Amino acid sequence: MPNDVPAADSTDEPARRRPARRRRADQALQAYLFLAPATIILFAFGILPVGYAFYISLYNWRITRGGFIGLGNYARLLGEPVNVVLLLIGIGLLIGAYYAWRAAAMQESGRRMAWRLAVAALLIVGGLTLVLGADGMIRYAAEAREPREYLLSILHTIFYSASTVPFQLIFAFLLANLLFQNIRGKSFFRILYFLPYITPTVATAALWRATVFEPRQGLINTLLLALGVSPAQLPQWVFEPQGITLVAAQWLGIPLPAWVANSPVLAGPSLAMVAVCIYNVWVFTGYNTVIYLAGLGAIPHELYEAARIDGAGRWQLLRYITLPLVSPTTYFLVLMGIIGTFKAINHIYVMTQMVGLGGPQDTTTTAAIFIFKQFQQGNRWGLASAAAFILLGIILLLTWVQNRVAEGRVHYA
Amino acid sequence: MRERPSRRRFRWHPARLLMMVVLTVGAIVAVIPFIWMLLTSLKTYGEFSLRVLWPKALTAAPYTDLPASEEVVITLRPIEEGTWSGAPRSALPLMEGQFAIRQVSAPVAEQLARSDVTLPLEVLVLAADTDPAVEGYDTFYYSVGGRVIRQETTRAHLGDTWHGAYAIAAPDLRRWGPQLAVLDNDPHHFVIRQSWRPAVMLIYNYITAWFEASFARYTWNSIRLTLISLAGILFCSVLAAYAFARMDFPGRHFLFTVFLATLMLPEVVTLIPNYAIVIQLDRFFERVLHIHDAWLNNWTVQTIPFFASTFSIFLLRQFFAQIPGDLYDAARIDGCGHLRFLLQVVLPLSKAPLMSVIVLNGIWSWNAFLWPLIVTSDETWRPITVGLSKFTSEAGAEVQLMMAGAAITIIPILILYFIAQKQFTEGIATTGLKG
Repeated sequence: MPNDVPAADSTDEPARRRPARRRRADQALQAYLFLAPATIILFAFGILPVGYAFYISLYNWRITRGGFIGLGNYARLLGEPVNVVLLLIGIGLLIGAYYAWRAAAMQESGRRMAWRLAVAALLIVGGLTLVLGADGMIRYAAEAREPREYLLSILHTIFYSASTVPFQLIFAFLLANLLFQNIRGKSFFRILYFLPYITPTVATAALWRATVFEPRQGLINTLLLALGVSPAQLPQWVFEPQGITLVAAQWLGIPLPAWVANSPVLAGPSLAMVAVCIYNVWVFTGYNTVIYLAGLGAIPHELYEAARIDGAGRWQLLRYITLPLVSPTTYFLVLMGIIGTFKAINHIYVMTQMVGLGGPQDTTTTAAIFIFKQFQQGNRWGLASAAAFILLGIILLLTWVQNRVAEGRVHYA
Repeated sequence: MRERPSRRRFRWHPARLLMMVVLTVGAIVAVIPFIWMLLTSLKTYGEFSLRVLWPKALTAAPYTDLPASEEVVITLRPIEEGTWSGAPRSALPLMEGQFAIRQVSAPVAEQLARSDVTLPLEVLVLAADTDPAVEGYDTFYYSVGGRVIRQETTRAHLGDTWHGAYAIAAPDLRRWGPQLAVLDNDPHHFVIRQSWRPAVMLIYNYITAWFEASFARYTWNSIRLTLISLAGILFCSVLAAYAFARMDFPGRHFLFTVFLATLMLPEVVTLIPNYAIVIQLDRFFERVLHIHDAWLNNWTVQTIPFFASTFSIFLLRQFFAQIPGDLYDAARIDGCGHLRFLLQVVLPLSKAPLMSVIVLNGIWSWNAFLWPLIVTSDETWRPITVGLSKFTSEAGAEVQLMMAGAAITIIPILILYFIAQKQFTEGIATTGLKG
């Protein structure tokens, strides 16, 4: 079936004999025919489901449709509506402050002062409401009952993004710059770096879990043993639910105050999450390197030549030519990296198979894993859809913010 | 930089050396897990748990001077209660017999020496009838010192049964001792064959993984699913990309934006509604067209939703748009319509981007995991990734088997990658940047 082509005999004839308008109508009709297969499938499985997901999220939907509960699922995930509204107002005010700041930059000097005051006021009020809302939500999340883990899962997602994307980019940028030099075996290195990205996630994640992070026989702990770490002190990697702050403090023998140990934010990502992050950096560094290489290749050589004639050193070339000119690539990679961590399910699924999905103690439950768990294990389709929608909202907001931030700073060559 | 004059001689000054070191470290980090996987997949259970770095299988064959095969006749006699402690509790062995293994290979000999066991090994054969449908005895256990080392059933082909719940108890002996196969399962004239097969010993983990998790079936499924996906993706995306690149119609810009926007959608958002849609489609096909399992547990559900590959449409559109318009004008004067122009001019010119689309989508559909995990409930259409994930959770502590399974999953991709690595990196680089 897929190899057939749509019957279009009538349009196959020489079209030039027909009047122009008829020809254009014909062409449009033909274009729609060409687009039909892709569009139908995209609408059926890509766009329609978004609306359907919203519909599901309004019901107490557990495999089959239950009663209509409006925004009940959302409230159950985020806590008191008051806090959510506060948070949203806070975000709105901060966005307003951004626009006011932009307007201020364009004003004559007289009005500028007033604009600046407005910006300051908006920032203060917005920030306060944001903090109040967030505080209420965190307190709600702290009384962790099952569906409330959502807010914690968002925290885990933030941990996950923050501790993978920067490393991916730094390593990739370094490697790409080195590969871009006149070096032997360039393509050989590139092939090797790209390897982790193309191999099946399920296989590589299982490989890391069972042979690299394995607490007793794993590669890392074997090395640590060889370096003289006592067996009792070996990190437990995917089995360790404690945050890295706590683990580090234990290693160094520093007692931590209870308010640090009990705070999910200050305790940091769990060692299990760190293991997932290391895996993530391993997978995506090669991918980012390839894209950076393409970005570097697009920089015109004349720029370097000119700068070198002006007496610029290596460092200055990097700082004033390479970095600004690859900024579109960097921007794209940051965006893709963050969205990627928000979407990530497969490798966490495989890496935490032995300790329960998203385990240990739910410390690797990112937002996407939370949704999947509610859907698959809890059969709470309505709740999971609502969580997915909030996630979508966060992703859209992040994209928007990044677009705004990038606007003035990214140089499109 | 790239345009550095070539007349300058290549020298190893410190900066260059440092660069090489950094690049090499990067390469080692990227590759070492794979090497570790291959090494582990060749180890025995004991070698892995004792952190032996180099698998014995790779060193000089420790079984070179062992007898090729020999047949042993064993007399089985009814057993008294309480003497069959080694057999699984679910089975009730009724007959027993004994034979001796006089020779084992070097690794097992070492292991035996450590645990104060001497040769010959007394092997107890226990016969049980676990399946009421089979007349007589159908299950045989070999046990040494109370541990079952091997289990065979007459229900499977004789001698080819690798599966055994309790056989795991002594995996190293199983691998480095003689291979045992039942030749005649008449309890009064029970004949087994002991044989030493070096090739089998080397790839033992692969054979075990292959048969324990029906990887043959999964691999075949994955190949079929990948081919179907590729056919569908090519069909849909070539047509759509051509329309976007070279045809003029109302709503072009809008439709293209919609296509691009779907790239942002996380899979988890559409996962639940898509599952609900697929269930309803399945019911509809069942009720109206009387086709059973048309959507669930079938190839349709795993491939059709991915036919509209926005990525491929985007990549091909970029290329199609670069083809000079004069070419089309000339073709039109010759009486060539869009479809013929596409098939006879555009496609032959676009071999490179088409290869990129094929290679990248091939990889992605081979690696697909989450959706197939949800929509497949048995082996009929289960792809290799889901099969591997089931296998890794069942293999548990037997990491060497897990790694053999992982290697089986990875190797086809590696072959494809090394053949077509240029298409990979170029496809990623050209579209990646523009997204």
